[in-house]
Amino acid sequence: MSPDERDAALDEALERLPQYPASLALKRRLRDAMPARPPRRPWRQRLRVLVPALAIAASVVALAPLAWDRLMVRPDRERAARLVAEAVNDHVRVLISQQPLEVKSSDSHQVRPWFAGRVDFAPAVRFGGDAEFPLQGGAVGYFIDRKAAVLVYGHRLHTISLLVFPAEGLAWPRRGVTPVGGVEAYAGATRGFNVLLWREGDLGYALVSDAEPGSLHTLALRLVPAS
Amino acid sequence: MAGGGGRDDEALGREALAYVDALHNLARYLTGNAADAEDLVQETYARALRGAGQFTPGTNLKAWMFRILRNTFVSDVRRRRANPVLGGLDTVIPSGQDAGETAWLRDDVELDRLRHVVAAEIEAAMLALSEDARTVILLDMEGLTEQEVADVMDCAVGTVKSRLARARSTLRERLKDYAR
Repeated sequence: MSPDERDAALDEALERLPQYPASLALKRRLRDAMPARPPRRPWRQRLRVLVPALAIAASVVALAPLAWDRLMVRPDRERAARLVAEAVNDHVRVLISQQPLEVKSSDSHQVRPWFAGRVDFAPAVRFGGDAEFPLQGGAVGYFIDRKAAVLVYGHRLHTISLLVFPAEGLAWPRRGVTPVGGVEAYAGATRGFNVLLWREGDLGYALVSDAEPGSLHTLALRLVPAS
Repeated sequence: MAGGGGRDDEALGREALAYVDALHNLARYLTGNAADAEDLVQETYARALRGAGQFTPGTNLKAWMFRILRNTFVSDVRRRRANPVLGGLDTVIPSGQDAGETAWLRDDVELDRLRHVVAAEIEAAMLALSEDARTVILLDMEGLTEQEVADVMDCAVGTVKSRLARARSTLRERLKDYAR
């Protein structure tokens, strides 16, 4: 018999050597005797966790303004820009038409009733014109997908269009609005025209002109309810 | 049992709990009875927690625990003396001194008997060995390297090799007696 065979035979016998594992009671005693405090990680191990966590946190902080802009600010800004552009388009259509005003009158009691039967809403307009902003007349226009009552005011050499239209279904800007009288208005500008948008009840209003924004603000204060 | 308050004593203690069965097995074969084995294991863990700062991270924790257990056992035996240990390795008959061994091992019938030695007889043969012989065989069975066994027993690697060879030879001799 070779030494290997002898070793193998002994190993085989040792496989049958009774084993004495620790009793459950001893294991419990040892476990209970261990400090209750969770093991503290070495600083290197903590760094392995902390560094990626801090990197992620820094990324979140760095990207948060971008995400905020992409998800909240930019869509709102785009909605407002669309309304501003549409208001300017309607204003320009009135200006370049052969007969800008379908009804010429400085009397609002003549202009407002003229819209009856031409638009499917009653354009509520508080201001009938004065020396600074004389009412020149009215016309029917279109604001995106709906009819709009267009009232035209003069201001020195400028023409100011007031578009009145049903507000329902339009995406109104929620950011960048400022109080004007008793309403929240959004001021925008495009292609050299200034626009002031607001909503009152079911109706939307847009003042459009190449006049200064301050002039639109002054006129708006005569059109909106007092704060 | 209380921890030493070192920076990672708690973690080390918990990791060491994974070896409690192996430690208890060695303790049982060293002390020869269940009560002393449990006391020895418990004292081993207490010492390990107190000396956790001395453990070198990256080395074999299991071997370190075995070393503490053996040292605890040895110091306990020296202190009590009332519980004499079975003879040291010097009392074990070296294999080369047994003239009849080779003849017996060449005998297939005897080999067959060795293969059929029952567990109780193997245990009795183990307990009849010296403390060093039992320890070196059990540590070898636990898969420790010769260097780790040398660290546990506080001796040279060459000493481990010779002790293991002599211990196995002696064990075979004892088992031969049971097999007859």
